[in-house]
Amino acid sequence: MAASQPFSVAMQGGLDKSSNTMELLAKPGVATKLTNFEISTRGGYRRINGFTQLGDGTRPNSSNDIEGLHVYADGVIAAAGTNMYFSQDGDSWLQINKASVAGGGDNYTAFTGRSALTRTSQSKASFATFEGNTVYGEVIITDEGSGVKPFYFKMTGTGDALSSRTYFAKEITVSGTHYPKFCVIHDKHLVVAGAATALNTIFYSGTSDIDDFTSTGSGSIVLDDQVVGLKSFRNELFIFCKNSIYKLQNINDSSTIAVVPVTKNVGCVDGKTIQEFAGDLIFLAPDGFRTIAGTARIGDVELGTVSKMIQPVINDIFDNIVDYEFSSVVLRDKSQYRMYYSGSAEATQNSKGITGTLTSRGFEWSEIVGIQAPAIASGFNFAGKEKVYHGDRNGYIYNHDTGSAFNPEGTETNIFAEYQSPDFDYGDFGTLKTLDHVKVSLRPEGATDPTLRVRFDFDTPDRIQPNDVSLETNDPAIFGLSLFGTTSKFGAAESPLIRQPVQGSGHSNFFKIFSEDTNAPYTINGLYINYRPSGRQ
Amino acid sequence: MATTYLTLTNEVLRELNEIQLTSATFSDAVGIQAFIKESINKALNDIANEEPQLPFFATATSGDTDPFYGNVNVSTVAGTRWYLLKADSSSITTDYSAVDWDNFYLTTIGVSGETAPYVSKGLKFITLTDWTRYIRDSENADDADTQNYGEPKYVVRSPDNRKFGISPIPDKVYKVYFYSYVAPTELSAHGDTIVLPDQYASVVTARTRYYVHQFKESLQQAAFALDDYKKGMKRMKSNLINPQPKNMTDDRVYF
Repeated sequence: MAASQPFSVAMQGGLDKSSNTMELLAKPGVATKLTNFEISTRGGYRRINGFTQLGDGTRPNSSNDIEGLHVYADGVIAAAGTNMYFSQDGDSWLQINKASVAGGGDNYTAFTGRSALTRTSQSKASFATFEGNTVYGEVIITDEGSGVKPFYFKMTGTGDALSSRTYFAKEITVSGTHYPKFCVIHDKHLVVAGAATALNTIFYSGTSDIDDFTSTGSGSIVLDDQVVGLKSFRNELFIFCKNSIYKLQNINDSSTIAVVPVTKNVGCVDGKTIQEFAGDLIFLAPDGFRTIAGTARIGDVELGTVSKMIQPVINDIFDNIVDYEFSSVVLRDKSQYRMYYSGSAEATQNSKGITGTLTSRGFEWSEIVGIQAPAIASGFNFAGKEKVYHGDRNGYIYNHDTGSAFNPEGTETNIFAEYQSPDFDYGDFGTLKTLDHVKVSLRPEGATDPTLRVRFDFDTPDRIQPNDVSLETNDPAIFGLSLFGTTSKFGAAESPLIRQPVQGSGHSNFFKIFSEDTNAPYTINGLYINYRPSGRQ
Repeated sequence: MATTYLTLTNEVLRELNEIQLTSATFSDAVGIQAFIKESINKALNDIANEEPQLPFFATATSGDTDPFYGNVNVSTVAGTRWYLLKADSSSITTDYSAVDWDNFYLTTIGVSGETAPYVSKGLKFITLTDWTRYIRDSENADDADTQNYGEPKYVVRSPDNRKFGISPIPDKVYKVYFYSYVAPTELSAHGDTIVLPDQYASVVTARTRYYVHQFKESLQQAAFALDDYKKGMKRMKSNLINPQPKNMTDDRVYF
C-alpha cells in the first residue's frame, strides 16, 4: 500500500451553513451540523449541559405559561398567567402582584393577605431593576400585552426567611391610559415605551424617581417608528424600532437631550433578542444578528452583521417568524449569547435555539434543539452568583445550563447532540483515499459514550458506508476533584486521544460524532486522521 | 466448508481496509465492493484458464460408473462419426472447458443387449491432420458405399473443439468414457461457494488484489499480489496435478 499520510483538524469556527461544499473543503475545522454543542471557552465543541427543575418542580401558577423571569434578590421573579411570583428555591412561590400594599411597605403577613392585583391579559413581561440604595433594588415589570400599567415591586430585609421581610408593590401610572410594553433603567430614569396606544413614544421618569413620570426630569419623546425594545448601553439609551434604531443621549440635561438616529435602514425583529454582550449590544435584525459597537469613537456607531455563517438558519427563522416567540440570555462565564425560538404550540423536543460564542476569531455559532424557553433570564443574585433560569409553556421553571440531561416537566430526557464536519479532501479532491484510523481528541467530563460515523463522498449512495463505532471514555479522575470509590477512573486521561480504526475509501469524507444519552458532557478538541492515498479514479 | 463468495470478498476488503459487506448488503454492493466482487470471478476464470484440468474443475467425480475410467460418457450410434462432447450443450459457451484427450475409453459394457465378451479398450488420440491425411477418405467411401463401419480405434478432435470423432465410424452402439472439466460457475449470491479447497482460497484473493491494486493505481502492490498469485498457482498445480512419485522408465534395449 501507499505510505500513509497524516491529517489533523482542530475544532474551531463553529457552525457554517453558508459555505458551499467546495468552500468547506478549505475549512475543515468548522461544522456543518452542530446541534446541542457549544463553542467551549477552552476550545473545541462541547456538548451542552442540560437543565434541571428549579427546586422540587412546584409550578408558580399551575400550567399557565411562564411569561417572564427575572433574577432578583436571592431568588427569581416569574410572570405566569395573570400573576407574578417570587421564590427563593422553587419549592414555594410568593404571589407579588398585590393590591393596596401600604406605602411604607407590608410585612409578610399583611402582604400575603392582600388581594391580587391581576395582570389582565398578561403576555410577555419585561423587567428592569433599579439598584438604588436598597438591598435588593426595585423591580419594574411591564407587560407586552399592553393591558396593564407597569408594576413596581421591592423587597427589603436581609433575613433568609421571607416572613421577616418587607414588601412594596404598586402600579405605576405613566401617562393617562398608556400601558407601555418595554422598560429599562437608564441613567437614574425608568424609560418605558411601546404602549399599544403610543407605539412610537418613549416615556422617561423623573430623575432618581423611577415610579413617577411627572416629577423633575421626566418627559416623553415621539419617534418616527414603532418601538420594539430598549437597552441602556453605557451613557446612551438605544431605542430599537421595527425599521430603525435610535439612541437617546443626555437624558439628564433638558437642554441637550436628543434622540439621534443610528440607522433608518435596519430595525430589530424582536426586543427579546437584545442583549448586552461582550461590550456590545447584539440583536436580531431582519438580515441576521447584528451588534452595535459603541467604541471609544464617541458618536460613531458601527453596525455589523455577525451571523453570516448561519444565514440559512436565520432565513428559516424568518420564514416562520410570525409563529415564533423569542427569548435570549447571556451566559457570561461562557462568553455566550443564546437565543431561543419556538412556536406557541411547539413541542419541547422541537423547540430550538441558537448559541453565539465570542471567541478570539469572532462569533462562532451552534444550534440547540429540545429546550423550550419562551422565558429566560440570567443575572447575579444577591450573593453575587450568576443564576440562569428558563420557563416553559407548561408553567415549569428550570435551572438553565446545568446537569447532563434535559428535564422537561421533571422527566429526564436524553440530550441528542450532533457534530458533523465538512467533507475533508486531505488537500487533493481527485485522489482516492483509504482511511486507516482516526484519533479523536475528546475532553470528557465524566463517563461518555459518543458515536463516531464516517461517510464518504458526501454520503453518496454510490458507496457503501461504514458502520458507526463507539467512542466510549471513562470518567477521568482529576486530582483534587474526584472522590475515591466513585465512577472516576484512576489513570483515565483528562483529554484522551481515542484511536479508532476506520475502513473505507473515497475522494472525501466527513465525520459525525453524536450522542443521545444522559451522560456527562464532552468536548471534541480535534481529529487526527491517518489515510493512504491511491490513484485518481 | 468451502469458502463463500461473501467470505472471500470480505477477506479482500479487510486486506484493503475497505468496508466489509454483509449478507444483507452483498447484492447491492457498489463502488470498490462491487469491483472486488467482479474481480473474484475474474480471478477464478484466470485460474481455470491457466490450468483448466485442476481436479476441482472436473465435471464429475471420476469412476462414478465403476470400474470405468472417466467422469462422463457418450453413447455412439452406428454409422455416426461425430458426437458433441457435452450432449446437452447448446453452444461453445456452455461446453466443457477442457477434455483429457489422452483418456478416451471405448466399451460395450453397460450397453443394452451386449454380452460377454465385451469390447473394452482405450481410444488412441490422433490429430486431425493425420486423420484427414490417412483415414478420412476411406471411411467416407465406406460410409457412402458398403457401410461396413467398424470397431473404433481412434479419437479425433473436431476443429471447432465442440465434438469428438471416432474412427472407424462405429458399427454399433458403444459407450465412450472420457474426462471433462467445466469452467467455474460465476459466483453470484453471497452464499455461493468456490470450488477450490479453502487452503487455496488465497490464490483467488491474491489475483483479486492484483486487479484491485491496479484499480487503485497501486502498481507496486499489484506486482506483489501478482507474485503471490503466481506462487500460489505453482504450489496448487504441484500439489494437485503432480503429486505422484516421479518415475522414469527407459525402454532402450542394449545388444
